[in-house]
Amino acid sequence: MTAVATVPGTTRLGPAAKHRSRAIRNGLATAFITLSFVVVLVPLALVIGYVVSRGHQVFGVAFLTKEIPTPRDPGPGMGPAVLGTLLVTGAATLMAVPLGVLGGVYLSEYGKRGFVARVLRFFAEVMTGVPSIVMGLFVYTAVVLRTHNPNAFAGSLALACLMLPIVIRTTDEMLRLVPSDLREGSVALGSRQARTIVRIVLPAAAPGIVSGALLAVARAAGETAPLLFVIGSAYRTNRSLFNGSNTTLSVQIFNNARSPFLASQQRAWAAALTLIGIVFIFTVLARLVTALYSRRSTAQ
Amino acid sequence: MVADSPPVAHLSDGHRPPGRFADLAFRWVALLAGLSVLVVLALIAFSTTHEAWPAFSKEGIHFFTSKRWDVPGQHFGALAFIAGTLLVSAIALFFAVPVSIGIALFITEVVPRRLRRSIVYVVDLLAAVPSVVYGLWGATVLAPKSTGFYDNVARTFRSVPILHTLLSGQPVSGVSYMTAGVIVALMITPIITSITREVFATVPTSQKEAATALGATRWEMIRGSVFPHSRGGIVGAVLIGLGRAMGETIAVALVVGSATSLTGRLFSPGDTMAAVIANQFGEATDTYRAALVGLGVVLFAITIVIGVIARAFVARADARSAGA
Amino acid sequence: MTPTTARRCLAPLAVVMLVAVGACGSSKKSGGASTTPGGGSQLPATTLSGSGSSFQDAFDEQVFRDFTSDAQKNVTVNYSPTGSGQGQTDLQGGLVDFAGSDSLVKAADVSKFKGALLYVPIVSAPITISYKLSGVTSLTLSASTIAKIFSSKITTWDAPEIKADNPSASLPSTPIVVVHRSDGSGTTANFTKYLTEAAPSDWTLGTDKVVNWASNTIGAAKNTGVAEKISSTDGAIGYVDFSDAKAANLTFASIKNAAGKVVAPTLAGATAAMASAPVTADVTVSPMNAPGTDAYPITSPTYMIVYENQTDHNKGTALKALLEYVLGAGQAKAESLDFAKLPDALLAKAKAQLDKIQIP
Repeated sequence: MTAVATVPGTTRLGPAAKHRSRAIRNGLATAFITLSFVVVLVPLALVIGYVVSRGHQVFGVAFLTKEIPTPRDPGPGMGPAVLGTLLVTGAATLMAVPLGVLGGVYLSEYGKRGFVARVLRFFAEVMTGVPSIVMGLFVYTAVVLRTHNPNAFAGSLALACLMLPIVIRTTDEMLRLVPSDLREGSVALGSRQARTIVRIVLPAAAPGIVSGALLAVARAAGETAPLLFVIGSAYRTNRSLFNGSNTTLSVQIFNNARSPFLASQQRAWAAALTLIGIVFIFTVLARLVTALYSRRSTAQ
Repeated sequence: MVADSPPVAHLSDGHRPPGRFADLAFRWVALLAGLSVLVVLALIAFSTTHEAWPAFSKEGIHFFTSKRWDVPGQHFGALAFIAGTLLVSAIALFFAVPVSIGIALFITEVVPRRLRRSIVYVVDLLAAVPSVVYGLWGATVLAPKSTGFYDNVARTFRSVPILHTLLSGQPVSGVSYMTAGVIVALMITPIITSITREVFATVPTSQKEAATALGATRWEMIRGSVFPHSRGGIVGAVLIGLGRAMGETIAVALVVGSATSLTGRLFSPGDTMAAVIANQFGEATDTYRAALVGLGVVLFAITIVIGVIARAFVARADARSAGA
Repeated sequence: MTPTTARRCLAPLAVVMLVAVGACGSSKKSGGASTTPGGGSQLPATTLSGSGSSFQDAFDEQVFRDFTSDAQKNVTVNYSPTGSGQGQTDLQGGLVDFAGSDSLVKAADVSKFKGALLYVPIVSAPITISYKLSGVTSLTLSASTIAKIFSSKITTWDAPEIKADNPSASLPSTPIVVVHRSDGSGTTANFTKYLTEAAPSDWTLGTDKVVNWASNTIGAAKNTGVAEKISSTDGAIGYVDFSDAKAANLTFASIKNAAGKVVAPTLAGATAAMASAPVTADVTVSPMNAPGTDAYPITSPTYMIVYENQTDHNKGTALKALLEYVLGAGQAKAESLDFAKLPDALLAKAKAQLDKIQIP
């Protein structure tokens, strides 16, 4: 059989039937792939639509800055929770991401397939399966009961424990995908391993690592269970990470959405809208910065 | 001839390259960071087992083998919840894995480059929704609307041998294993999609172009160039998604129905270990509280067992394909 | 500045920022008490924290804020409705200044506390038996019928037991859908306690925060969840606390109490139950199936539990002031918040509890 090269995908390599079945399979595959995206769009639109429909009435600048009113009071106000979410999630990110990236670096660049690395990889996986509420209970027993101090930092610890395995595992996966000739080239030019990793490998895997970190941050910002018992509660803004109880948007949503008073429910859904907004904006910014940075470094 | 230390030059940005000490220090810092996982896990394991001990010593092996969770009578058996956790996770993976891989392929292979970033943002939006919102939406919107659907499906499959048991149950208000599984699938899709997409993006374009140049259709190119390169990454992504599915607490607690039953009927209400802890912890004291923490320990153990099984499975699949 | 240098500066900068934020928040105003024109000395700035029962949350949130705005401007009171059991655990660990609880501390847990405890009853409220049945706007139920309904022994609305309680009503044959709590709940504990005391031969599922309901019942989270399920299902019946049931506009059943009278779930009925029930030595009450003529038999009391010996002068003084407010001006606000204030005799005993608080 001679191959008649025309346009890719339409080469006749056999009887017409075989060509047609390949085209059909290709069409089906493309249809399935496109359908997957559509299938996920529908619930996303429904959920976001639901949140907006139930929470837009009370949303606004006042909502983001004022104190949290009593359950019956119809006024806006989630300021303390907004700050609380930023504090708790921010501190957790600062703890988990550097630690996780370094851990992933060890697994991919130093440990590779060695025994220690295999054990660490396995247990990082196990750790992704620990329920968020168990992390919260652990911090409650091990930290809060000892310090007698429920505060935002205890919440950050619990969230950092949730984030750490995700960051380690995704960093590990992404670094392993960096082609080895990049590393070999760098070493051939005389770089030590640390320099190779920091200067060549990490930047190459940066978009993937950032993706993993963003997943972890999004999860942490939206988690309720680990925070319920360790941060206490507050209706006034508390700027301190270590002193006194605090509250976050996720906890407020959980408590208020199931309140009998319409005012509380509206505030809960507006808080949900706020939280989605904060996480999404942060994700967009992070991706933009990464894209800019990698464009700049490859242009150099 | 071994070049022990390369000549120390000054680089274009004015810095001196790190010496041997800095190199070693970096390696040790990275190792310690990795070990932090073991340290934290060991602390969690120790702390929770210690707290759960009163319940373990009271129940003994029945804690794992009995499906009776009787609070007034103080009998605690986790079997129904273990099964529930596995059921919900299986349903979630069943829906999430093909859809996530599909979306990842959509982003990397089908969508024109200019539109890629916006589609990625749509997936990010899915990840930005907090778990409690998914749970509340599931309980107030999805569950009630599903009752009719579940009834229809159950009727359709009534005569099919195995499926008729699976696809049945009393969907009195829509809360069930299936609803919980679907909600969890929604939540783990962005994780699996995001990682898989990054993995697909690292496939060398030369390989893809070579396949297309040889006359492959898009699907054949994906099967031939993208999948083989990405298999390890996809497995990693799925395992992370599985972990999240097993550990999801609040969303499941709101939609799984909170019924203690050991059943294969997916449309009936049930419970998972994490959901039971979340629902009952606030009011629990004494042995009851210890039993709830014990559920956490059991979940720990189950995750380890699943991890071992998953790894063995992947290793066998790898060995088979490598030998082929 | 190169990207590397920028990155290197970022981490320490972030650490500095965090520490600064932490330090800023930790400075507290210190100083002695000052007097206000309206009389009564103002305490120095303190924060009190409590956790526990979500049953009393609607009362607490409002009254504690009023305490701050009306009585002690420098004292902030935070309350976290995580559940009575968790509240007790928090108090055991010294994490909170008071625990809100609908139930008493179990004997096995008493030794885990750091010292002697004081129960201060604050309010009570009826637990309604709410239902939705088309065409039926009023319903009377006796304890034995309720027990049989909720243990799934009676399955349709036209059962003979229900007919016997409602001789003049026309009841359809709709199947009964029982709605209960899926989460651990003091309301469940108190409701099942009532059934155990009022209908011991008919109620077999025991009493606790979680009970093993039959598999054809519906579980919903929190009172709001139960209320929602009841209002969206014809033939549904469930137990919902008064303020949630009122907010959801549910229809209540009237209950035949221990004295034989049929009483609707009202705040007056709750107060009557609390007044006729015996008070123990540590000022706790069990108004379930209370003997009073006008008592509503499914009434739930709720307490604030504090340590008798306070360890901090400022906090102890503030706590006592808070409790005095709750038992004073707070009682007048109870009705507008859908809670029943304490009957006079019990209120006097509760106030006497406050005298036992030792402040260093």
